[in-house]
Amino acid sequence: MVAPGSEDRPRQGRRPFRAQLNKLRWLVLSLVFLMLLALPFLAVYQSYVAAHAYDLMSPSEQHFYDFMAWLTGPITDNPEQDFNLVKGTTWSGTLFGLRLSDPLAVLSQIAAEHRVFTAFLLTGLIPLVATLLLGRIYCGWICPATFLYELNDNFAVVLRRLGIRLPHRRLDTRFKYLVLLVGLVLSAATGAVVTAAIYPPAIIGREIYYAVAAGGFGSGAAFFLVTLLFDLLVARRGFCRYLCPGGALYSLLGRYRLVRIQRVVGDCNDCAKCNAVCEFGLDPMRDGFGQECNNCSACIAVCPTDALVFRLTPRDQAPQGPGHLGREYKRSQALQSGEAGEGGRTEAA
Amino acid sequence: MMRARWLFVLLWILLGPVCIGPAWAHHVIGRPSYSLNEDSNTPPSMEVETQVGDYYVTYMVFPAFPRPGAPGRVNFYATRIRDGKPFQGKVTFWVRDAGWLHWHRRPPEKLGVQTPEDGVYRQLFQFSEKGDYLLRAEFEADGQPYQIDFPLRIGNPAPVGPIGIAVGAVMLILVSVSVIQRRRLVRLKAQRQRLESGT
Repeated sequence: MVAPGSEDRPRQGRRPFRAQLNKLRWLVLSLVFLMLLALPFLAVYQSYVAAHAYDLMSPSEQHFYDFMAWLTGPITDNPEQDFNLVKGTTWSGTLFGLRLSDPLAVLSQIAAEHRVFTAFLLTGLIPLVATLLLGRIYCGWICPATFLYELNDNFAVVLRRLGIRLPHRRLDTRFKYLVLLVGLVLSAATGAVVTAAIYPPAIIGREIYYAVAAGGFGSGAAFFLVTLLFDLLVARRGFCRYLCPGGALYSLLGRYRLVRIQRVVGDCNDCAKCNAVCEFGLDPMRDGFGQECNNCSACIAVCPTDALVFRLTPRDQAPQGPGHLGREYKRSQALQSGEAGEGGRTEAA
Repeated sequence: MMRARWLFVLLWILLGPVCIGPAWAHHVIGRPSYSLNEDSNTPPSMEVETQVGDYYVTYMVFPAFPRPGAPGRVNFYATRIRDGKPFQGKVTFWVRDAGWLHWHRRPPEKLGVQTPEDGVYRQLFQFSEKGDYLLRAEFEADGQPYQIDFPLRIGNPAPVGPIGIAVGAVMLILVSVSVIQRRRLVRLKAQRQRLESGT
């Protein structure tokens, strides 16, 4: 519901910093994606440098070597060693010496191996703490699949404008917890990390490596294209909402997150733009965030009255009713004051 | 103008890897791949072991990186599962195109008929064009026909395969649409929300 004539409180001066966070988020998502694209090239270049065999390379390999030397020359004069600082993918990797792993990778490894590798477990600690504090922040701010899924949703919106009506089925969001459970059980039963085969960020990182270093995309790329089609033709952001095993894990971990978006009812005008831009189909206008919210801040960025804020609290607010700047609230207030006036006159009579 | 420039930069970054093509490992056990031939003491480019009917079949392709214009070899073994006895009859080798452009395929061509030497069937080949091919080993044992197909790649694979083209096209569409329409997106999403909620 978007109230066409809803009244916006005029913004005074510059918008608060939190309203710019969505731009920062897009910057982070783009950088992570570009990093995933760049790392395989760096790794191949690193192996060429380590081989000390420039004269034995084919002309195309020499061109590649020369280009990478030109590109990375200003950054490092020892690529063989220095590029070890950044390795891997968002599934598991090294970022400037800090080893990080997706908590789903850690959990799946434990399930598959039936034992805990402490060193690997520790690599999941920082993402785990971040999730406990900030909720599904990985989904909203880092996941390379989110970058593409959000572009895909923008594409769906444009298709609708062109007159192509796309279906939007609402499924049960609890289904992804079943996917997570089945993935872990299969990992335990087979000894292979099954979840990595259906987890889009793991697939994207892996497929880019395949494409660059092994000469072509594998079946994972086809699977990911199918998930894009699923989002487009079945349910909007359907994979993240209903199927993603990582999303399920992050939702569970972020259930009692400390940093939450909340609505300041006194500043809200019920315009519903927040609901319109929410990729997860949540209901910020009625205080409906829950454990699915990934703190992406798209709702904050779009709010014309800056009525959405970050707060430190482990629980969502109870529904506060219509926004005080909206028509519904004003109408009810007018009605109440009218009734009070009637009552006063009656008593006086 | 600015928008077009940014779009160009974005597309270059996103599609660059697809255009540049794959980077290749160029050494096999310390030797550059260009010096390998079918008799080199290197791993095969492909080794497959499989069970077909009553036979256990193994085949390998040498050299590690078959190239157009250079000779290569298939080593083929077949042993009966029941008693481990090597197959002793004749094996016919065929080849046909296996590229994804089906309409471009040529008819199958017979490579040769081979008899075993020490239980191994050796079929030499030399392809003039790089590409994806399908080899077929065909023999008859105990009145049953056996046909075993296996793929063979000659030369480096195409820098962009069908999935690569699909991925590149999807990226191109998604990024360009989002960049070009970015100012309208919130309004369009609000319209969509209004239509879906029926208000």
